Amino acid sequence: MTHRRSVSRRLARGLGLVGLIGSILLLAAVVFFYRLSFVDLNAKQATDRAIREMLEHVGLPVLVLMVPMAFVGLRVIRQAFMPLEEAAMEIEAARGHEREYRIDTSRMPAEALPFTDAVNDLLARLDDAATRQEAFAADVAHELRTPLAVLSLELDRLDHAEASRLKADVAAMRRLIDQLMLLAQIDAATATQLAPEAVPLTDVATDVVSLLAPGVIAAGKTIALEAGAESPIVHGRREAIAAALRNLVENAVRATPAGGAVQVFVGPGCAIRVKDQGPGLSSDRLHDLIRRHSRADHASKDGAGLGLAIVERIMAAHGGALTTDPGARELTLRFPENS
Amino acid sequence: MRVLIVEDNDRLAKLMAEGLQRRGFSCDIAGNLADADSAMDGAAYDAIILDLGLPDGDGVDWLGARRRTQHVAPALIVTARGALEDRVAGLDGGADDYVVKPIEIEELAARVRALLRRPGPRAQTVIEIGALSFDTAARAARYEGNEIDLSRREADLLELLMRRAGTVVRRGAIEDALYSFNEPVTPNAVEAAMSRLRRKLDEAGAGGKLNTIRGIGYMLRETA
Repeated sequence: MTHRRSVSRRLARGLGLVGLIGSILLLAAVVFFYRLSFVDLNAKQATDRAIREMLEHVGLPVLVLMVPMAFVGLRVIRQAFMPLEEAAMEIEAARGHEREYRIDTSRMPAEALPFTDAVNDLLARLDDAATRQEAFAADVAHELRTPLAVLSLELDRLDHAEASRLKADVAAMRRLIDQLMLLAQIDAATATQLAPEAVPLTDVATDVVSLLAPGVIAAGKTIALEAGAESPIVHGRREAIAAALRNLVENAVRATPAGGAVQVFVGPGCAIRVKDQGPGLSSDRLHDLIRRHSRADHASKDGAGLGLAIVERIMAAHGGALTTDPGARELTLRFPENS
Repeated sequence: MRVLIVEDNDRLAKLMAEGLQRRGFSCDIAGNLADADSAMDGAAYDAIILDLGLPDGDGVDWLGARRRTQHVAPALIVTARGALEDRVAGLDGGADDYVVKPIEIEELAARVRALLRRPGPRAQTVIEIGALSFDTAARAARYEGNEIDLSRREADLLELLMRRAGTVVRRGAIEDALYSFNEPVTPNAVEAAMSRLRRKLDEAGAGGKLNTIRGIGYMLRETA
């Protein structure tokens, strides 16, 4: 392992070297001016005197110069690097809000500016690349819709037993595309930082359940909403919260066997719970699904995992969380109280 | 029933027209807004299926402009745009309903039928959902030709559910439609009317089409 270079250590080494060279030169001067010779040093008294002379004229000046210099030098270095250390802490604190993050250069010493400016420039390029990547994903999803519509309509013309199976595949693709579009829109909305609005959770739940109920009933399942008279109100983006709830309910409907029921509860507190009759989802599994699909390297066929990752992202943007209670077979959208 | 399909993708337009024709609609196709204008000047349509992004303009803007000067048949927006704000913008712009691509032909046909059931100058007086029919002028309901005897309120309720068949009708909307302002609505008045209607439908053989979505409202299924 190579030793990492340290400015303080180099300064100490440099001062040590300067001290050593200075001491030798002073020593030579003292020897020259006092006409000390090695012969005189044989006598015990002469040696004592010589040592005292050395200490007075060499040791003391060197010490008087070097100690304050070392002290001030190290202090200056520590202070010069303080803004960098603070910036490092700020960068660490910004975890999860990386988009549009820049290092604050107002307190940076001039010598550090080329570096921090270069880092900020790199961050800008990364942001730009991410934005382009997202726009590309949105474009692809958008462009896929028309051919997919053609495909689904062509399948409708086929009078063949296989056609319905293929239609189910098209439907799965459609869901995936919907999720990708949703993700792109959430990112776009987060980037523009729209002002939050007051959102009554019961209204959102009523909209989403009304919208999804015909499909749930057609699939031979039932859905119900349980909400108190008073709706909890959260501050956020209504469409995003509705999209999160929609994803949860769609997941719950898929997990519930035919003849089963999905229940949506508003409250207690600022929360919406979705209960299904599936096997339940452990927190480890939920965490896995969210983490795996937030990296988008392992999308499941029907987009269920991607859907949950999107829910998690929407909740995080609202300062809330997606939690699971496998015993109760419930997934909960939990918002901060009085948010 | 005549439907105008305004869609710039030829193949998609033809497939939609073909699918709708198999379900009893007659369809004309316009590939851009100029063609749509001339088609609408030449014939009366019962409904319009409108793509948003057309070569010579935006579908919603065109619809809004036409709506300001004359009556335009109910419009169903077909959009490839996304899930969040665009949908709402389309509805605010004068569209009556929207579907997001890729559409299924069953869904498209159901939405068009729902548009045609809306009240309007060209609305039909007889609404039909499968074998169930309701004559809005005579206030009479029939199932497979047999008359179902309904009170005034039950008839109103059935008409409301049939006009919006295939979608959930919220309790609040039912209360608003069935009871006037100064009429006191007891908490379970809607439930009581609904259970009477349900019993009469069951007796006529049209049972099981009426679904309750607890906490929300009711829905009449379009298909068995």
